[in-house]
Formats: sequence, structure tokens, C-alpha cells
Amino acid sequence: MKVQQSVLLQATPLGDLLDIRSFTEVCHSFAELYRIGVKVFDDTGNKLVDVKIGNADFCGYLWQSPEGRTQCMATVQRVKTDPVPEEPIPSTVHCFAGCRYAIQPVLYEGDVIGRIVFGPFVPDDLVALPESLARISPDFDEKLAASYMNKIRRVPQATAEKVLKHFAEILDVLVFTGHKNLLTARLHIEAVQESYREVQEKNRQLEGAYQALKELDRLKSNFLATMSHELRTPLTSVIGYSEMMLEGLGGPLTAEQREYLQIIMDKGESLLGLITSILDISKIEAGRVKLVVSDVDVNAIMRDAVATVTPHARKKGLRVSWQPSKLPAVQCDREKIRQALINLVTNAVKFTPSGGSVSVEARADGDDRVAITVTDTGIGIAPQNLGRVFDVFFQVDGSTTREFGGAGLGLAIVKSYLEAHAGTVKVASAPGEGTTFTISLPVMASGPAALAVRASPTVAAG
Amino acid sequence: MAQFNEDSRELAVKVVYYGPALSGKTTNLQALYQKMDPKVRGRLMTLDTKDDRTLFFDMMPVYFRAAGGVKVKIKLYTVPGQVMHESTRRIVLQGSDAVVFVADSRKSEAASTLAYWKDMLRNLEANGLDPRALPIVIQKNKMDLEGIREDDFADLVRSPNVPVMPAKAIHGEGVLETLGALLSLCYRDLDRALGLAKRFSLPEKEFIGSVFSRVEAR
Repeated sequence: MKVQQSVLLQATPLGDLLDIRSFTEVCHSFAELYRIGVKVFDDTGNKLVDVKIGNADFCGYLWQSPEGRTQCMATVQRVKTDPVPEEPIPSTVHCFAGCRYAIQPVLYEGDVIGRIVFGPFVPDDLVALPESLARISPDFDEKLAASYMNKIRRVPQATAEKVLKHFAEILDVLVFTGHKNLLTARLHIEAVQESYREVQEKNRQLEGAYQALKELDRLKSNFLATMSHELRTPLTSVIGYSEMMLEGLGGPLTAEQREYLQIIMDKGESLLGLITSILDISKIEAGRVKLVVSDVDVNAIMRDAVATVTPHARKKGLRVSWQPSKLPAVQCDREKIRQALINLVTNAVKFTPSGGSVSVEARADGDDRVAITVTDTGIGIAPQNLGRVFDVFFQVDGSTTREFGGAGLGLAIVKSYLEAHAGTVKVASAPGEGTTFTISLPVMASGPAALAVRASPTVAAG
Repeated sequence: MAQFNEDSRELAVKVVYYGPALSGKTTNLQALYQKMDPKVRGRLMTLDTKDDRTLFFDMMPVYFRAAGGVKVKIKLYTVPGQVMHESTRRIVLQGSDAVVFVADSRKSEAASTLAYWKDMLRNLEANGLDPRALPIVIQKNKMDLEGIREDDFADLVRSPNVPVMPAKAIHGEGVLETLGALLSLCYRDLDRALGLAKRFSLPEKEFIGSVFSRVEAR
């Protein structure tokens, strides 16, 4: 059996292939032209069109007597249901009152899908009313009946059939056109449905793939968070014990041993910093960051951040400065904002060659915000890369990774932390001249900030 | 399987001409329209939505009443060859009883022919039709052109009883033979399932003969 029923094999009733209202108009004009009534039935005997002309008085007169009524109904029944051939050949039904009906089958694709009936008309060889007609009623008025009959078109049978054949040919074209339009419309719908089904199917697959990726991403973030945490614990011991040895707790050290230990400690510290960044970003991605909001002195944060990088900057031959301000305290998570500023200042030091300078300043940003800028005289960032510097793991130039180190997480963390505070971070830069990062924070904390971290789109996309 | 109405004793058969764009599917139908007796065939309908080309196919009905009383209605369809009409191709292929695969026999068209053959197998299966059981004829069309391949489409994986019929549809050659070969396969299929010869006294000779009646005279 078929899986689906094709619309192409479905039979269509004649009524669906024609616009009955406009077809009726055609029938009217035909009837007017030839003065003969037209009826069209479908294959189940449903009357689609019925145009009467000239016979109202005659038939109405006969209809008055019960016998006439019975005979008339029998004639109509024959006109409707007498079998017609599966060929374009007309047949005739004789009315008991001497009139005639010519009937032509409506054929389509070899099937009889209906019939056209012309009539009643009076055959031109009819000389007088049939004698039997007088018997339908005792008071039958032959003269009156004959005068009524004169109103009906008198036409040779052959002419009626010729006109009928002509009409059938026109109907054939109408049916063909109707069928064609019907198929076009139905198939159009089916094609659209089919295309829609295909798109739905593809969407479903994409949705599945997207869910799988999302799950993988979550697993990755979890893994990173766990691993970073596990890595940090032994590393703390490595750094701690190196420090203890440097302090002479393990006994006296040679100058060479001290130098090596210092290197172990330094490298340990930078590894710890890196792991901490990874832990931070994976916490952000996993939506596990919570803000601890308190009143924070902006000056203290700037001093802190500058102090953190000063030793390294001096070694590199850079001048790091900051300007104290008279700004009010800001409601924020001290640790997160301090970390964000340290990341910016560290970056500035990292990308500024010897002899340059880094400066940190704070100012009011409108009535209810505070802006802190970190300006350097470093290598700068090309315009085409400005938009991507906040992406996770992004570094402007792959080769700079080797030259400057880092995992490409610092700025992503800055952006996420700022967004968690409903703050912003912006960058302006001229290659070869320097870069300015500006963070802006609302003075008053608002809403459940930790949720903002969770929803941070940049990080989620990373 | 074809639709058979026991009450009206009507048999409806759907034949689809499948193949790459410009391989000659419509040309086949046009040639059949010219050659067949107007008594047994209807108008050739071309559905072509010019504005968006979502739909494009041809259809021609062939019908006769057999002496035993069975009425046979065969509808011939072409499917749109252009790649963008994939969904229409699948719809037209729905419930088909037999398929003519019209192939351009030039060597240069071999890759496209193979791709459409596979596409057809896939779409048949998507419609729940078994390509190994369905009557299929391959038409080796455009034999009048240069650079004809010498093999009989050895690369088209198929069951051994799929005939290859040479044709020059543009000149009307091989078109009747192709349809004849297909209807012959189709008849045997229907006879097995319905008992056309025994139950309905419709032998193969009459089945084929009625479709091609008075063809020689034309």
C-alpha cells in the first residue's frame, strides 16, 4: 500500500473544477443567445447550473394538474440520471409534452464527470401537441397550451446538438483550466509544506547539536574550574616551601641556590596567576561568581594596583603613576574590581616597551558613575582587533603570546567583572602610540549582580 | 501499488518520468502526445509557476476501457529536473507505480546522471517505494548526439531486470518503445497483485495494445 495518498491521483468533482458563479454567467449568455435553457449536473446528479428560458408558462401550466406534475418529475429524473456514454456523443430525452432535451456527457480524462442538458426545446418537426397531453386533466385547454409552447424555442434536433457540442468543448477547456489551477494550488501548498517539514527537520538537528555543544561547553568549564583548583593547591606548597628556604628556614644557601630558588618562586607565582585567571574565567562561564558588595575607596584600589606592578615596571624601566582623586566611595565587590584594575595595569606594563609610562586616573563619569582610565605609551592595538580584545583566549597577534606571555584571559575577566557590576570597559588605541582602557562603574550597586555575570553573553560565547 | 477500485472496476496507474534537467522528460511526453490516438489520451498539462518556479511538471492522462469491463487510467508525469525542485520531485514521485529514468547518454553527462539516479532511489525510499521491486526502465536518450557513452549505465546500481531503451526523443524515436517496455513490466506487476488476466480478462496484449491503438496508422 502507499505510504501517502498523492493529491495527483485524487478524483475531483466537477463543481470543484469550475467557478460556479462565473460559469453560471456563461450559461446565461449561452441561453440568451440560443433561447434554450441550460442545465449542468455533476456525475452524482447534483445540479450545478440551471438556466430556464421561455418554458415557464408552458411547464407551469402542465404542473397545475397532478398528472402533469408526476410526468414532469419523471422527465426531469430521466434527464438527470439516464446513463450517458463515455464518449462525446449526445443523447435525447423526450418530454411527455412533446418537447425535447439534448444531453451531452462532460468527459475528463476518459471519465464522465457530469452532463450538460439543453432544453426543453421544441423539435421543428413537431406539428401539434401530443394527443396524450389532453388526458392529463379534464379541463386541459389545448389552445392555451399551444400558445404557451410557442414561447419555447423551436429548433431542429441537429442544430441543438451542434450547439450543445460547441458548448461542451468550451466547458472542456474550462474544466482543464480549472483542474490545472487546482493542481497548481494544491501542489504549491504541498511543496511548501514539504519544504517546511525539511526546514523543521534541519532545525531539530541543529537544536540537538546546539544542546550537545552547550553541554560539552558546560563540562569543559566545570573541568577547568576543578582542575584549576586542584592545580593551585600543590602550587601553593611549591611557592610556600621555596619562600621558606629563601628565608633560610632550611639552613644556609649559596648565592647560586638562592638565585635558582628565586626563579622557581617567580615562575611559580606567574603560574599561579595564570591558573587563577583560568579559575576565574571558568567560574564566570559556569555562572558560579557571586559579588560581595561593600563601599570601596577608589584611591585605595588604584594605589593597590599600581603597587602590585611597580617592582616589575621598575625592572623594565617604566614609569607608573597614579593621581589620587576626591571621589566618593563606590559600591562594588572590592576584590573583583581590584582584580580588574590589576589586569589592566599589568597588561599596560606588559605591552609598553622600556622608557614608556603607564598612568592611572579616576574621575566622575556623569552624576552617578565613576570612570578609571589606564593609559600607556605601548605598542597599541590595530583598529581591526579592537573589537575582539575582550574575547576569551584572544591575543591580538599569535606571535605576541610568545613575546609577552599570558593566556588571553585578563581582558575577558575584566569585561565580565565589569558587566556583573552593570559597568562597562572601553578601549581606545593608536598603534605605536599607546592604549587607553576606561572602566566605568555605577556609584550605587543595583539589583542581583551575580545574575548579570551568569547572563554575560560575551563569556558564554567564549 | 496502483489504485484499483473493485466497485467501478477502475485501475489507476501512475507513471513518472524522472531524470536530470534537460534530459528529455518533457520531450518524451510531447512525442507521446503527438503519436498517441486522441481517443486514449487527454491534454498534455504543463504546470509551470513562472514567478517562483516551485512547481514544474507535465502530466498527460491515458485511458481506455478494456473489453472485459475494466477501465484503465494511466497518468504520465514528468518531475522537475532542476535541483531546486527537490520537494516537488518527491511529491510527484509519491505513489508512483512505475518509473522511466530518462538519461542523457553523453559521456559528459555521466556524473549528473549518476547523481540523479541516486537522488531518485533516495526519493523513492522516502516515499516508501522499493526501487528493487518497482518497475523501472532506463531510457538512453539523445542517441543522436556526439560523445555517447558505450556502456549501458553500468554505474547505476539497479536490479538486473531494469531494461535500457535507446531513444532520440526529440525525433520521437524510442519513445513508444520505452513506454511499452515499462507498461509491460508494470502489467506483470499488476497481474501478479490483482490477477488482471484471470479475474478481469485483461491480457497483457490488450493492455499494451489499447494504449498504443492506432499508433501505427498515425
